Amino acid sequence: MKIRKVLTSITFRYIARYVMALSATVFLLLAFLFGYFSYTYFSDLSASIVDELDTLELIYAGQSLAGVEQYIDDQLSGHPVDPLYYLIVDADGNKVAGNLPESPIYREFSRGWMGFQLGLLEWDGSAEAEFLARPTVLGDGLKAVVAGNYADAVEKTELVFRTLFRAMIATLILGLTGGFISASSTLDRIERLKTELSTVIRGGPGQRLQVGRELGSVRELAVMMNDILDQMESLMQGVRKVSDNIAHDLRTPLTRMRNHLSQLRSSLDTATEDEVTGIIEECDELLASFNALLRISALEAGSALAGGAEVELSQLLRDVVELYEPVADEKGVTLRLDSTQLQLCKGEADLLFQLFANLVDNAVKYTPEHGTVEVRLQLRPVQGTGEYVHSIIVADSGPGISPAERKNVFRRFYRVEASRGEQPGHGLGLSLVQAIVQYHRGTIELGSNNPGLLVKVKLPQIIA
Amino acid sequence: MNVLLIEDDKDVGGFICSELLAAGHSCVHKHNGEDGLREARNGDHDVLVVDRMLPLMDGITLIKTLRNDGFSTPILVLSALAEVDDRVRGLHSGADDYLTKPFSMAELLARLEVMHRRASTPTSGEVTSLEVGDLRMDLLKQEVSRGEVALNLQPREYKLLEYLMRHAGQVVTRAMLLEHVWGYHFDPQTNVIDVHVSRLRQKIDKGFEVELLATVRGVGYRLGPQV
Repeated sequence: MKIRKVLTSITFRYIARYVMALSATVFLLLAFLFGYFSYTYFSDLSASIVDELDTLELIYAGQSLAGVEQYIDDQLSGHPVDPLYYLIVDADGNKVAGNLPESPIYREFSRGWMGFQLGLLEWDGSAEAEFLARPTVLGDGLKAVVAGNYADAVEKTELVFRTLFRAMIATLILGLTGGFISASSTLDRIERLKTELSTVIRGGPGQRLQVGRELGSVRELAVMMNDILDQMESLMQGVRKVSDNIAHDLRTPLTRMRNHLSQLRSSLDTATEDEVTGIIEECDELLASFNALLRISALEAGSALAGGAEVELSQLLRDVVELYEPVADEKGVTLRLDSTQLQLCKGEADLLFQLFANLVDNAVKYTPEHGTVEVRLQLRPVQGTGEYVHSIIVADSGPGISPAERKNVFRRFYRVEASRGEQPGHGLGLSLVQAIVQYHRGTIELGSNNPGLLVKVKLPQIIA
Repeated sequence: MNVLLIEDDKDVGGFICSELLAAGHSCVHKHNGEDGLREARNGDHDVLVVDRMLPLMDGITLIKTLRNDGFSTPILVLSALAEVDDRVRGLHSGADDYLTKPFSMAELLARLEVMHRRASTPTSGEVTSLEVGDLRMDLLKQEVSRGEVALNLQPREYKLLEYLMRHAGQVVTRAMLLEHVWGYHFDPQTNVIDVHVSRLRQKIDKGFEVELLATVRGVGYRLGPQV
């Protein structure tokens, strides 16, 4: 997984592309050089063969066969750097002079050129030498062949090119490895940044990125992100403060209004009384919203629970389920509790009751007839710590919440579009739930119950 | 019922007093902790309503001081919600009940009346049975009957009825039922209590001529022969 990530990272792709382009350029250059080199070598070789044939023809014209034999002997004993090979045959095909065997298997090349292979004693008899040869007719049935051996040159060239090619492969491998390493180190830093960012996202506005000592743009980025988080937090606090103040300041006049209305109600006729009662109920709902808002703020602003009483969770959940049983029953919804053992948790019983009451209330509310709501309590080990958490699951068979919406539902006054208007509520229930969970240093997750919503609350077993 | 109100907010205090007077009670209003303490010691009041935050002496200290003196008059604490464990601290100081602002006057009145009744009718010896009209609850056998008919109640219905019978004739609010019958102080999002009450009503009132359990609109319930 990590390798794949590194391989697809921008840094690696950039370096890989660069190394590839470099190698391709070098390869093209080599190919060009090879072609150029071969061309000049063979044109030189063929030129010297043609020259030698001309010389032989001249000598034959002047001194006949003896002169030619003498010339060939001279040439062979002279040990030149690039020796040529000779063969003179008579009209019957018998060798007359020269150092080539009588009848090598010729391959016909174009324009009078031939090629053949020979095992030469000079190279331990085993090496196959490649020859370029050209025949000519001297006269009187005598034929002359002059050949040049190019195996040596080819071998040398091959050696040079093979070395160069290996060097190129090595460069490629080293380049890609280097690219991989540098990409993975860059990726590591970015990955670290990502992990920290996700804890910031999960941990709420108070969290910050850790700014390491190592200098560089990643660090600068972290510093800048922290600045942005600072700004965001203060903005959020500002907004919250304003909304709290509004809630706080509006509560008193609203209460007064509500009380005056209820005073008024007693002196009214029945029809008007009903209307006033309706208004009072709306006042109460508004007040309940304000209260919930202020409670959430109080929970969030206060430091997390210190101490607290021992609360037995299975009893508490039994009470919650028992409280909502008749409501579920009237709706034709089955409400089940699955908890087998006593589980002690430190906390505020009233708050915990509120927490699970809200969850069960929601679950029952959104579950259609003949549906099921299940509450499960378990003790779960925390991996690698030897500690345990209380895991409470409230699962329903309602429509659930789409993954995209799951984060939003904890926001104050946020309501899932589909439920707007259909279900009563002020959109603060889950905000309060989250605030209570965080107050108890727990976590809450929303998932799918396939179908339905599955809420998983985890509370620490012991709060220090 | 003579009420001593110790509340520094003039508006809120004035309103509570006028409402109490309108409901046929008397009301003395003090604006700070020290005046309140003096008045509580000297005067003869049935119940005290004390705000949590007061000038000169805060409400919790005032209640603790009074309780240390052996002062037994029931006290209800009023508080603008601030701290999470405010309620617990309020009750720990020796208060009998606790109400968070804003509250409805009906809720305050219902609670004051319950507190007052409890304090003014000293229970002589162990009560073994409760009776409201022809409804009878045997606390020892845990049996309920109406007239000649034995009623079969679930445990929670039994507790609910017991609380209602113990406060027969008084208005009992939903919050009070949650606190005393279920034992939790919390804010239900829906009227869960109503469903429980209507089930109980099915059992105790259905088929009988006189309805005992009445709904008091916007406030709560009252058990008793209806007038």
